[in-house]
Amino acid sequence: MKGLRRAFEDFGELILFGVETIVWMARPPYRLELVLAQMSAVGAGSSFIVAITGFFAGAVLALQGHYAMRSFGAEGYVGGFVAVALVRELSPVFMALVVTGRSGSAICTEIGTMRVTEQIDAMETMAVNPVQYLAVPRVLAATLMFPALAMLFSSVGYLGGYLIGVYVSQIPPGPFLEHTREMVNVHDVLHGLLKALVFGAVISIIACYRGYSASGGSRGVGEGTTRAVVMSSIAILMLDYVITFLDLGT
Amino acid sequence: MAVIEVTDLWKAFGDNQVLRGISLSIEKGTTYVVLGASGSGKTVLLKHIIGLLRPDRGGVTVNGVDLSTLAGKELNDFRRIFGMVFQGAALFDSMTVFENVAFPLREKDRRISWDELRARVVAKLRVVDLGEEILGLWPAQLSGGMRKRVSLARALVADPEVVLYDEPTTGLDPITTDSVDSMIDNAKERLGVTSMVISHDIASAFKVADRLAVLYDGHIAAQGTPAEVKQSQDPYVRRFLSLWFGKQ
Repeated sequence: MKGLRRAFEDFGELILFGVETIVWMARPPYRLELVLAQMSAVGAGSSFIVAITGFFAGAVLALQGHYAMRSFGAEGYVGGFVAVALVRELSPVFMALVVTGRSGSAICTEIGTMRVTEQIDAMETMAVNPVQYLAVPRVLAATLMFPALAMLFSSVGYLGGYLIGVYVSQIPPGPFLEHTREMVNVHDVLHGLLKALVFGAVISIIACYRGYSASGGSRGVGEGTTRAVVMSSIAILMLDYVITFLDLGT
Repeated sequence: MAVIEVTDLWKAFGDNQVLRGISLSIEKGTTYVVLGASGSGKTVLLKHIIGLLRPDRGGVTVNGVDLSTLAGKELNDFRRIFGMVFQGAALFDSMTVFENVAFPLREKDRRISWDELRARVVAKLRVVDLGEEILGLWPAQLSGGMRKRVSLARALVADPEVVLYDEPTTGLDPITTDSVDSMIDNAKERLGVTSMVISHDIASAFKVADRLAVLYDGHIAAQGTPAEVKQSQDPYVRRFLSLWFGKQ
């Protein structure tokens, strides 16, 4: 019972931290240089790992799609299947899970270390709000860069699917591309980008909050980081369902 | 004139009563040391003075302003009259020495010119006996004593009225401790700042203090000039001080 109450309190504090971050976003001073630095760390810094995972996700989708569809002679639809699966579902979810492991944990560790070594207290005594200085640039950067990373994941994933589908599974390139054009529309793309945007905001708020509330030295920072990654992973899958349900209905 | 007035300050965390009616007064341009063992409530007192914690009862006034009446941006702006040196220096480890010392100035005036910024950073590093050659170093490349010095330069750079020191000599060797003591005296003599030092280092406290208080179990067991505190008949104060003076 006590654990459940603590979990609710913790969730409430997370929500308040998120609201505080959004409020501070609107207030000057605006630190564009910090946002750009974080966009580079979260976006450019994650692009290689996102591209690699995207390539293999697309490649395996092509293999599985070919295996499932060849029994009823629908190999030509593999291109469309790969593209729809990537754009609507796999890109935002896989990319977010990968970037949580890389950047979410880095954000949490950095802010957590600053907390336990009194750097955040020091910032406050210098009349600088730590939420505005530390959380706002990271949340803005992740919210802006996640859709871009999802597009990268989709593009490289489709390339992987095309190469495996056409050159390994011997699907003719014409139908592969043609059915992609037929099956994917702008709504699918926007659906995936919206998910990525929401994941970026939520994951970065969780990572910043866990770092900000860290205590108890390096062990506390480690525990905070673990909790940030676990909580983010669960949040990604739950929000994925909610957004898909709201879009598709029953 | 008193810069800081603490009146009947009480604070508890859950069942743990940390401060029990602290009252003290710090005069402009003097160094006031709060001496006490670990867990006596020194850091909690310091956090009240800078407005990081709110009292359960009693209050803190700084330059006649009751801190409990301030919140948000007002409190944030008010804190500019303080500079603080943390126990572990608390330098930003993702910034160079220059960026660390320049940080309060940049945040105070985001349009400050590069030349002025550099000149003021170098001037404050000189106050703590450090030269320009360390501007590009990272905190991880500095020794413990140098980190404390850079931390003081950062605390002084925006010309605060009051500098707060949290355990400035903890974990330092005797020679470095002596140089940190000189650094605290220098800041008072050369810049006229009011200082409050939180410490459990008896020798260092008696060296730098104009006035001092001994904190025990959340209340002040003795306060006055170093000579007056030394003569205190309070049993705890006598036992605490004898740990150092007994060796002399």
